[in-house]
Amino acid sequence: MAQCAQSVQEFIQDSFVPMVSVLCSEDAERVTRKNNLSFPELLRPFCRLTSEGHLRDPNNQVVVVKGLRISVTGVNTRSPNSGEVRKLLSQAVSGCQPPEGLPANVITAGDYDLNISATTPWFEAYRENFLQSMPASDHEFLNHYLACMLVVSSREAVPTEQFLKLSQEQHRIQHSGEYTYPKWFIPNTLKYYVLLHDISDGDEQRADSVYEDMKQRYGTQGCYLLKINSRTGAAGPDEQMPDPWSQYLQKTNIHSPVSQFTSSIQARVLPAIHPLKLEQSADPGFPGNPSKAVNSADTARTQKQGSVTPGAAPTAHGACLTLNDHDRIRQFIQEFTFRGLLPHIEKNIRQLNDQLVSRKGLSRSLFSATKKWFGGGKVPEKSIAELKNTAGLLYPPEAPELQIRKMADLCFLVQHYELAYSCYHTAKKDFLSDQAMLYAAGSLEMAAVSAFLQSGAPRPYPAHYMETAIQTYRDVCKNMVLAERCALLSAEVLKSQAKYSDAATLLIKMTSEDSDLRSALLLEQAAHCFINMRSPMVRKFAFHMILSGHRYSKAGQKRHALRCYCQAMQVYKGKGWTLAEDHINFTIGRQSFTLRQPENAVAAFRHILINDSKQTATQQSAFLREYLYVYKSLSQPSNEGSLPQLPLPCVHSAQTRVFFGHEPRLAEGEKQAATHVWLDQEFDQEQAQLWAELEEQVVAVANRGSVHISFQPTQYCLSSHTENLRYPFAVVEEPMFVEVVFRNPLKVPLVLSDLSLLWKFTTKDFSKPQGALNDIISTEVIPEFTVGLEETKVARLKLLPHKTGELHVLGIVYNLGTREEDNSASEGITQKLLMFVRGRQDLEIQGPRLNVTKEEKTSVRHGPDRRLDPIITPPMPLLEVFFINFPTGLLCGEIRKAWVEFVNVSAVPLAGLRVASTHPEFFTFGSATADLTPVTPTAAEHCSAYKTMVTPPSDAAVTLVSPAAFGITGDNRPTVVEIPLTGGVLGPGEALQIPLWLRGPDREGVHEISFLFYYEGLEKNAKLGHRVLRHKAVICASRSLSVRATACRSNTLPGRGKRDEREEERSGSMLVFVDVENINTSEAGVREFHIVQVSSSSRQWRLHKYIRENKMQKIHLASRERGKLCFRATRCRTQEGETDSCTKFCQLTIVSSTTPCADFFFRRGPPSERQSLTPANSTDDSMTSIVRKCSEVELDIIVLWKAYVVEDNKQLILEGQLHVALQTIGKEACSLSQKEEAQEMVLLKFKPDLPPPASRPSLEQLSHLIKTCLHYPESYDHPFPQKSLCMVPVTLTLSNCSLAQVDVIIDLRHKTTSPESLEVHGSFTWLGQTQYKLQLRPQEVHGLSLKACFFQAGVYNLGTPRVFAKLAQSGTMCETSQQSAMPALIIINSV
Amino acid sequence: MEICKVFFHLSVSVILSPLQNYPLYIRSVPSQSELKFHYTVHTSLDVVEEKISTAGKAMAEQRELYLGLLYPTEDYKVYGYVTNSKVKFVIVVDSSNTSLRDNEIRSMFRKLHNSFTDVMCNPFYNPGDPIQSRAMFTMVSGLKSDKCGWLV
Repeated sequence: MAQCAQSVQEFIQDSFVPMVSVLCSEDAERVTRKNNLSFPELLRPFCRLTSEGHLRDPNNQVVVVKGLRISVTGVNTRSPNSGEVRKLLSQAVSGCQPPEGLPANVITAGDYDLNISATTPWFEAYRENFLQSMPASDHEFLNHYLACMLVVSSREAVPTEQFLKLSQEQHRIQHSGEYTYPKWFIPNTLKYYVLLHDISDGDEQRADSVYEDMKQRYGTQGCYLLKINSRTGAAGPDEQMPDPWSQYLQKTNIHSPVSQFTSSIQARVLPAIHPLKLEQSADPGFPGNPSKAVNSADTARTQKQGSVTPGAAPTAHGACLTLNDHDRIRQFIQEFTFRGLLPHIEKNIRQLNDQLVSRKGLSRSLFSATKKWFGGGKVPEKSIAELKNTAGLLYPPEAPELQIRKMADLCFLVQHYELAYSCYHTAKKDFLSDQAMLYAAGSLEMAAVSAFLQSGAPRPYPAHYMETAIQTYRDVCKNMVLAERCALLSAEVLKSQAKYSDAATLLIKMTSEDSDLRSALLLEQAAHCFINMRSPMVRKFAFHMILSGHRYSKAGQKRHALRCYCQAMQVYKGKGWTLAEDHINFTIGRQSFTLRQPENAVAAFRHILINDSKQTATQQSAFLREYLYVYKSLSQPSNEGSLPQLPLPCVHSAQTRVFFGHEPRLAEGEKQAATHVWLDQEFDQEQAQLWAELEEQVVAVANRGSVHISFQPTQYCLSSHTENLRYPFAVVEEPMFVEVVFRNPLKVPLVLSDLSLLWKFTTKDFSKPQGALNDIISTEVIPEFTVGLEETKVARLKLLPHKTGELHVLGIVYNLGTREEDNSASEGITQKLLMFVRGRQDLEIQGPRLNVTKEEKTSVRHGPDRRLDPIITPPMPLLEVFFINFPTGLLCGEIRKAWVEFVNVSAVPLAGLRVASTHPEFFTFGSATADLTPVTPTAAEHCSAYKTMVTPPSDAAVTLVSPAAFGITGDNRPTVVEIPLTGGVLGPGEALQIPLWLRGPDREGVHEISFLFYYEGLEKNAKLGHRVLRHKAVICASRSLSVRATACRSNTLPGRGKRDEREEERSGSMLVFVDVENINTSEAGVREFHIVQVSSSSRQWRLHKYIRENKMQKIHLASRERGKLCFRATRCRTQEGETDSCTKFCQLTIVSSTTPCADFFFRRGPPSERQSLTPANSTDDSMTSIVRKCSEVELDIIVLWKAYVVEDNKQLILEGQLHVALQTIGKEACSLSQKEEAQEMVLLKFKPDLPPPASRPSLEQLSHLIKTCLHYPESYDHPFPQKSLCMVPVTLTLSNCSLAQVDVIIDLRHKTTSPESLEVHGSFTWLGQTQYKLQLRPQEVHGLSLKACFFQAGVYNLGTPRVFAKLAQSGTMCETSQQSAMPALIIINSV
Repeated sequence: MEICKVFFHLSVSVILSPLQNYPLYIRSVPSQSELKFHYTVHTSLDVVEEKISTAGKAMAEQRELYLGLLYPTEDYKVYGYVTNSKVKFVIVVDSSNTSLRDNEIRSMFRKLHNSFTDVMCNPFYNPGDPIQSRAMFTMVSGLKSDKCGWLV
């Protein structure tokens, strides 16, 4: 139970007060009416006595009466009926609301901090009104009239006559039996004669004389002259008069016969109006003005609650009364009580006591014995059934049992509780023995109360009396009103004794179905009991609060219901009891809504929807609908910016992505637009890195090698992965897209309509007048966007800025609705319209967490994220790139011609167009020297990509080409290619179409090739220095041919032949074997490959001759076939530039020295591989290099092929080229570099690599120093019969391949160790010197004449000489055996 | 209440976390009036705490885990059980079901406790999360059907 303003004692005393009736003459009534008050009302504020009264009890002991209050009412007021009481109580409760802004006390219980108002004034108001509205009953006398005031005005012609009349009237009312009401305590009621004198109006002397007369007649103690209305004029507004009536007057409602009440709603809405306004016209005491009475009751109550009303201004009450008059009234009451009432009561108590004592002589026991003996009497024999229903039992008014009760009540009223208790106790015994249960219960109740009130507490409070009383009232007598009164008293007493648990049980027991208001109030008090216990029971408190709130709402007390739920919410909030929490929130929402607090309602509903709800789908949809309805009824602000926040759907702000630029175009026929960047692409760290590197490269080239220190790669798509510390740039008149991620947590689909972005724009130039919003930025609106149940979905919202300035995207605005599952279409539409509400949600993106300084590490700080705050810059050029005839699949090495179109779609000229790529070997725009014949792509469609010319099939043609002509300078590959524009500028709207050759990658598989087109505007100081366009091409390369080539040293030395040939051969020649294999696996597609031409490129070598059997044999390779080509290469003298020679196999010669063949040749391969040999050795000791040089070739072979492909029943001819780089003699080179695969396997090494061991020329290399060759006649005829010895001259030619002096030792002695050579029959011997030592100068060719001697005819191998060589400088090194010459067979014929 | 008559014994069983008293597992066999059970169980915590605080001090070690009948309401009986680590178990049964004796309730709690221990032993269970164990589900369903067979 909550704390009360009154103490228990005060409360109980005030509940039972002596009742005094008033009978007023008409004139007297008129006098009081001047003050807008009836006579009882006039007295009411002064009814509490401030001084102590005294009286003597039957034992002549003085009883002190403290703080007595009397109740003065008109004699004709009747108790209201139950319905009225109900309404009245309901108003009293609803009119009493907790004051707002009052600091509620905080109770801490366990983990809970609860904010609960400690007092419950509405409960006290209810209790007060309830007790006062108790009808007087027969079984108790407490609220029977003890006395009657007869009031007569002094203006009356004959006041004494009037007094007589009134006296008779009173007598008639009491004794005639016509009236059941009012009830009178004692037959001879005290009559008190009051002469009312109006000072302003009457003759004071006359009044005094009349009073004198009265004194004579009624005695000084039985009459009084009350002078009032001393104020003559109306009270001036400046004069402040206390108005003691205002706070009492609503109580008159209880006793005034109020016929009808206005609807309670009016009363509830009213408190907003100034309370005093109504009071002026209010006349609550008067039955004629009922509706006003209600309102004033309301307002008066609020006044009492502490709403400050300074100077109760020109109120109608007591207008004619001065403070003196107040004092006079007070004096009058005191006089009446002490002189009239108390002596009267004292007398009666004595009288009753005497009666009882006298009767005691007969003895109670005897009396009851006779009753038993004779039966009958006043207590009839009762059946058991009747016994139970003893409520009907009535004692006659003069029954001795009732006399005891009467005496007890009198004693109680004058606060003589000791005597009262003993009397009640006696009465109780009597009643119980008579089975008069109602009477017994009443006595029990009062006995308990008086026992409690006894000062000094001689006996403990008999709680069981109360319990029995309540039970009897309720169960036996079916009198809930009395039971309730009893319970209220008992609970208050228990509370004062800190027996909260008992009080709570008592209160909860009293709740029942018949009265919601009472149940609600009692449950609330019970809840307060739980929280006030020594160990507070928070959850019980909360639960009972909810029960109470439920009952309040049933009783129509919405405000109280809401308060209860809100208090209970504090306990349930955030504890995981989701169902309960949702239920409370839902109820709070509903109640708030009906109380027109839509903000609170929205907040409560919002809470249900935000949390992950565990409710069922239907429940959720109900919640949602309710929320939408409530929200809709909330007055809608017109301004978009001030729209309230919507809770649904959830927006994942951090996942918001922003894209600057146009939506990508789809391919138009053959035209294929550059892929660029779009929101569909997932963020890929590697890709981003790759693009950034490419951009850095191209920027470096554009800025002549330097990259600005603050270089940042252009980002078109900003997401949580990108760094968003800087304000991004957007270009005016170019759209930007914001991708927002929505999640619907509900099991109900949500429909968002009119979804658009909310932004703020700060313009740069303030001079220009601001146009409409759409002139600044056009905002795209998505008409409808559905998020399914528990779905996550993205919405792309577009903005198109028209002005330069700073843009801030704040959030999104939309209509939230739900899809109604309606069968009828038309109804569905109307429903849908109803269910939409407009609101916004902000996009607040938190930047990444900072973690640099110590301060940042220890605290949680986030950096800024400026994704949504772009700066709109002036127009920039915008490039669009289209590819025409761009293939998706190519054979390895295939050459395809495509076209590329550059279009400047902006209104600003474009310059500095460049392209960078990850695979520069993949494409070429042709060399600068190549004549760019502007052929339309259609015309060139079926032509060969190569440039051809008809020539007679000659063996070789030599052209000199310099790589510089193809844009290759130095060793690095050109990753950045500048695209020539006419005049260097691509004007607005202009398009440029240029051919583009593509070459299939050497490795099979899918290749992603990235192109980065770079361009800039003409303005140099623009914020955006440059722009880029990205394109990613995917090429599927399938296998074509595999080319392997080996070179070996030719052994032929200059001999016969033409002179020039000999010259060439002198400097060395080589055999090149080219193995070509068709490794294409798709037999259906590619029918066969033709080798069209083989070209070579080298600084020192050229392909000289194609060695073949049949001059015009073509090389056709079907699937899985293999062919071998053999060439002779000769050293050429031209050292400048690269030579290009070709050998062709058909009539047409492909000019391999021009675009595209040469382009691709120069762009071929990863450069690292090619450069590894040459430069490294230059720093080595000369010897090694010399040794190496001699076995080194630098010959690139280009194999040009044609493939016959069947595609869609059409035969196509595809062309291509493959490159093989020959580097070392004898080492096989392949068109497919095998190295890359190996690279993938390389382990990470953290130790620095050991320096490569001092490069010593390997044995193998050293064995190539000297080339040997034997010259001899192939067959020799010798007449053996004549001459047994055959001498054949043989020349051994030694050729020094190296560029250093070489010491050579030639050993002719037979030292064949291998058994094989033994078998070769025929031993022959060399004649003459068998060991030579020579020194050969660089590149010297030395012939050594030898003589071989044969003994018989046969075939002999002359290749026995062994040659050892060593470099002349390196003394230490021993000679190395040179590669043995091939078997040199000679046939000796015997003639 | 019609539904309660059909499944009349085990109405709801709840496991509550030790300190904050938020529910780890709620299972209500007739799922219709779940809200009411939430309120009932939540309120019963007051009684549980009271019982712990009164009994706990005297013999903290050999405290009986089973708290017995917490309180009867008009329709239900609420039983409580607290582990040594202050995990609370609450079982609410229909009060019309007179056949359930103290011993049976006790064994039901013991089964519940065992099952809960199993859940806690699961390395993938994050203590404090709502329990979503299938084993637990079948066990609680078993409690119910067990009694069913018993009664019939």
